[in-house]
Amino acid sequence: MLDWFWGLAGGLMIGSAGSVFLLYNGRVMGASGIIGGLVDGTGWSNWAERLVFLVGLVGVPYLLWLVIGGETHLTTNWFVIMLAGLLVGIGVRLAGGCTSGHGVCGISRLSLRSIVATLIYVLAGGLTIALLRHLLGVI
Amino acid sequence: MQRYGYALLSGGLFGAGLRLSGMTDTLRVQGFLDLFGTWDPTLAFVMVGAILPMAAAWRVASKLDRSYLNLDLPPATSHRIDRNLIVGSLLFGMGWALAGLCPGPALASISFGGNNGVLFLLAMLGGMVVAPVLRARLDRAALADTTAIYDNLSDTDAPINPDTLTDSPRNKMDIRALTPTYAVSPQIEPSDLAAIKAAGYTTVIDNRPDAEIPPHLHTEVMKAAAEAEGLTFIANPVIGGALTQENLRAQAAALAEATGPVFAYCASGNRCSVVWALMNAGQASTDELINTPAKFGYNLEHLRGQIDALAAEAEADRI
Repeated sequence: MLDWFWGLAGGLMIGSAGSVFLLYNGRVMGASGIIGGLVDGTGWSNWAERLVFLVGLVGVPYLLWLVIGGETHLTTNWFVIMLAGLLVGIGVRLAGGCTSGHGVCGISRLSLRSIVATLIYVLAGGLTIALLRHLLGVI
Repeated sequence: MQRYGYALLSGGLFGAGLRLSGMTDTLRVQGFLDLFGTWDPTLAFVMVGAILPMAAAWRVASKLDRSYLNLDLPPATSHRIDRNLIVGSLLFGMGWALAGLCPGPALASISFGGNNGVLFLLAMLGGMVVAPVLRARLDRAALADTTAIYDNLSDTDAPINPDTLTDSPRNKMDIRALTPTYAVSPQIEPSDLAAIKAAGYTTVIDNRPDAEIPPHLHTEVMKAAAEAEGLTFIANPVIGGALTQENLRAQAAALAEATGPVFAYCASGNRCSVVWALMNAGQASTDELINTPAKFGYNLEHLRGQIDALAAEAEADRI
């Protein structure tokens, strides 16, 4: 299995993407902040930069999909999908960051806020899986 | 513009990395969180791979004044651990585990994730719309809404009945420099402006509404006198009954546009100090914002909760 290799290689690409956004655009590459600012209006002052970033984020995986395919294996349970989406949307905006913002960009600058946030959401995620998959058998 | 080219490059690299690392596959993410099943360590490799170049980039950035495209770099990191961070991370972690998607992969997989992927994204965007409302509600106890700010203004700056105003003699002008670039003072007279100019100040802010000032010191008189001295004069009346967010913005804008140190006056200098402390919430520590005016006799201790709340607002998105 080459999972770890592709994980590391893909991770290096993500970190390089964040480095470019920081050193050239002067911004923290956080997916939730970039789209969230467009949604709630707090980021309209630089909307075009956000939109162009999103075009790349959506477009390149589409091109890759045309070549190598891909599957998300997302659950088909509408209730679970909507609940999960709502929790993610509210959670990341309250916390001020998600896996890319706090997890990658924040931890790499040793931000206490980001380290605490990452520990909490990984722990909350682990407990949720343990509870719903192994104790209740729901997901 | 170059800026958009780099944004496209960054977004594209991010998307490619998410797809190639397997993070757009929800089973992989759930597999990482599933410590009691068949644990999938891939996500840990992704994190390590991403953090290494990013840590190097932060080191480079720490030696720069501006980005390579001459844009502002992000503000210094924050170490504030507040309720929003904890509650938000708990909710996010639960949702992340439920579907196996976080915002980056949700966007990266939107073109091939089918209708369910779109449904997740819509629900997530809905949550992002709701979040500010929820955040304001969580913060409301301490949040500085306009009435609350006014309630905490000290009595010495309460509105004065113009009928009782007299031309009482007063002591010599007193420049109280809270910082090298911002001084506060009790009411000044036109004859003081030359000394203010000589002391190096380039902008004068009047924080008193005319209704509480004797006519010979009204805004128009002071403005004409200040401009005759070559000073920029800005009227930002903090009205007894309504210190507003707009007052804070106007004061901050006056400072941002000033070409040199700024001199602000009101009845006692208290209002100028209150505005300064509130508009700098999050930029400097709350202790500093309270202790500095205290050196000049302005006690803002009662504003501590509001400065903290405004600082939390300002830091909401800081990594």
